[in-house]
Amino acid sequence: MAQEQAVPAAAVPAAAEYPLRKRASAWQNVIKFIRRKPLGALGFFLIFFLIAMTLGTPKAEFSVPELPHSPLGFKLGQPWLAPYGQEENFKNASGRLNTHAAPTTDHWLGTDGSGRDNWSRIVWGARRSLFVGIWALTLATLVGTFIGVITGYFRGAFDTGLQRFMDALQAFPPLLTLILILTLRPFTAEPSLVVAAFALGFVGIPQVQRIVRGVVLSTREQQYIDAARVIGATDARTMRYYILPNIMASVIVVFSTGLGVVILAEAALAFLVPQAVPAEGASWGLMLQTANADGLATHPWPGIVSALAIALAVLGFNLAGDALRDVLDPRLRVG
Amino acid sequence: MQQYIIRRTFLNIFVLILVATMVFGALRIDSDHVVNTKAQGCFQDVTGDVEQCKAIARADLGLDSSIFDQYRRYMTDLAQGDLGNAFSNKEPVRDQIMDRVIPSIELGLLQISIGLAVALPVGIISAIRQDQWIDYILRFFTIFFLGIPVFVVAVFVILITSRWFEGTFVADWMGPHGSGWVNIWEDPIQNAKLVFGAALIGGLASGAIIMRFLRSQMLEVMRQDYVRTAWAKGLRERSVVIRHALKNALIPVLTVIGLLLGAVISGNVILETIYNIEGIGFYVVFSALQFDYPVMQGIVLVVAFFLVFINLLVDIAYGWLDPRIRYS
Repeated sequence: MAQEQAVPAAAVPAAAEYPLRKRASAWQNVIKFIRRKPLGALGFFLIFFLIAMTLGTPKAEFSVPELPHSPLGFKLGQPWLAPYGQEENFKNASGRLNTHAAPTTDHWLGTDGSGRDNWSRIVWGARRSLFVGIWALTLATLVGTFIGVITGYFRGAFDTGLQRFMDALQAFPPLLTLILILTLRPFTAEPSLVVAAFALGFVGIPQVQRIVRGVVLSTREQQYIDAARVIGATDARTMRYYILPNIMASVIVVFSTGLGVVILAEAALAFLVPQAVPAEGASWGLMLQTANADGLATHPWPGIVSALAIALAVLGFNLAGDALRDVLDPRLRVG
Repeated sequence: MQQYIIRRTFLNIFVLILVATMVFGALRIDSDHVVNTKAQGCFQDVTGDVEQCKAIARADLGLDSSIFDQYRRYMTDLAQGDLGNAFSNKEPVRDQIMDRVIPSIELGLLQISIGLAVALPVGIISAIRQDQWIDYILRFFTIFFLGIPVFVVAVFVILITSRWFEGTFVADWMGPHGSGWVNIWEDPIQNAKLVFGAALIGGLASGAIIMRFLRSQMLEVMRQDYVRTAWAKGLRERSVVIRHALKNALIPVLTVIGLLLGAVISGNVILETIYNIEGIGFYVVFSALQFDYPVMQGIVLVVAFFLVFINLLVDIAYGWLDPRIRYS
């Protein structure tokens, strides 16, 4: 007491003199992320651009007047960034199809073998890639996480048995299995994107399960899991409220990295076995396949453009996934 | 260790039986279509009615008996190495796979060798010069080859070689060739020309993965006490890095090479198709376009077999090289 009183009052500054540290605004956080992870930021930029390509006014019955062709021409049902429709064939001055045109102001990435605008088809194709990617990854992550949590949590004979089954699934070479599944008649009679997406997701299940199981194995040894058991939480409750929230970061990382892999796999599949995916509508893999068949040396533009689209999308998801992993869950870091 | 090997081998056999069962099931998801596809080949031989053709096809495929009989027969055939006959030319699938396995193995081995040849120096330099400009440059190239898919690189290589290097030796070695495939024992130089481009592209892609992993392993090992001791003893940098650090950093890299094999096989399907290398991957795409199911099934089984046992070998080698690893 005596000593406290000995301190002169003036030596203790008033509360106002300690400036409270302001919480960083969302914008400041974004800048910090860009500074620390420039490559990750590039990845997110590519992903946002990919998403922007899919945006457009719905095809519905809204009575919006039809606007002329132009970038951002807001045509109904058409992506905003696409100046033309995906199957629009263009003719040149002499009335023939304007095939394999080099870039001009009208078609600034050139035209393909049927006189269609390359840039428009890239924009339309983004919808397809993202559609397949998101559905496949949703399936793979939901099922893979479910099985992964259960096997990692219970261990024992159940885990061992299921793990052998997963080993068997993982022994299948992914691309070959995809080709085998998608050439079975129920799937080739009428190739559909949904089936392709689910086949891709199915192939991804064991990969997701393996990663999730590994994370669960380390999580379940934590003290708070013991605490949950002590207060009488059932197994289901422990998994739902104690384990799942704590592995969510890993699951998000797996999802974002996986999207790139799946988009690439879909393009590779369309490139190798075009009849396994629907022929209607623009698809990056099919564009590359047609370009390759038409001869890249003589007509390079459709090939360059579609290959770049695939590469940038995959690169975007890889970079963003890496940065997310560093920020959210360094445990998953391999190298 | 011995016990571990025996147990793992048995487990692998069990896994392979599961794989075979799933492949068996895949054919029976829609056997009508399989029968129709096979019956198409019959119309040329027997000018008979469709039903007769289908009946013959059904009997040939063994689809006329009960599912358990079919399964038993399928498994006994498999155990004897019989993978059935191809629809297209009615020859045994096993012999056809045997013919085409050499180019694939050749391409795969070349790829991994190129990958290692690139990754070892690059990974070491980038680790011991961490955060210097040479590290940044090397890492940029790694990220480039990690992010850009193999077939996109292949498309650009073909484009460049056929547009600007037509007729030069670059096009000879890097570019794709027509359909004329030669085996390695017929004409090794021509064969090398056919395979080299694909192997280099695939090799750089696998090299990027190995290098990334090796770099982080090296960084970890270089901070260990015994490495500091080696420095303190006054050893030369080369001796510290290669004899002390690299040896221990390489062991975990082995597992990555095992995991890489799956990716190499998938990548080979694409590279073989683009470069007209008549290996397994080329064959599987060719059969898929003709709905030749026995061939596709056979290849999936053979590749699965390969993958499972290579992974076992990698695990065994891992335990042998690193005495800290105890399998029990």
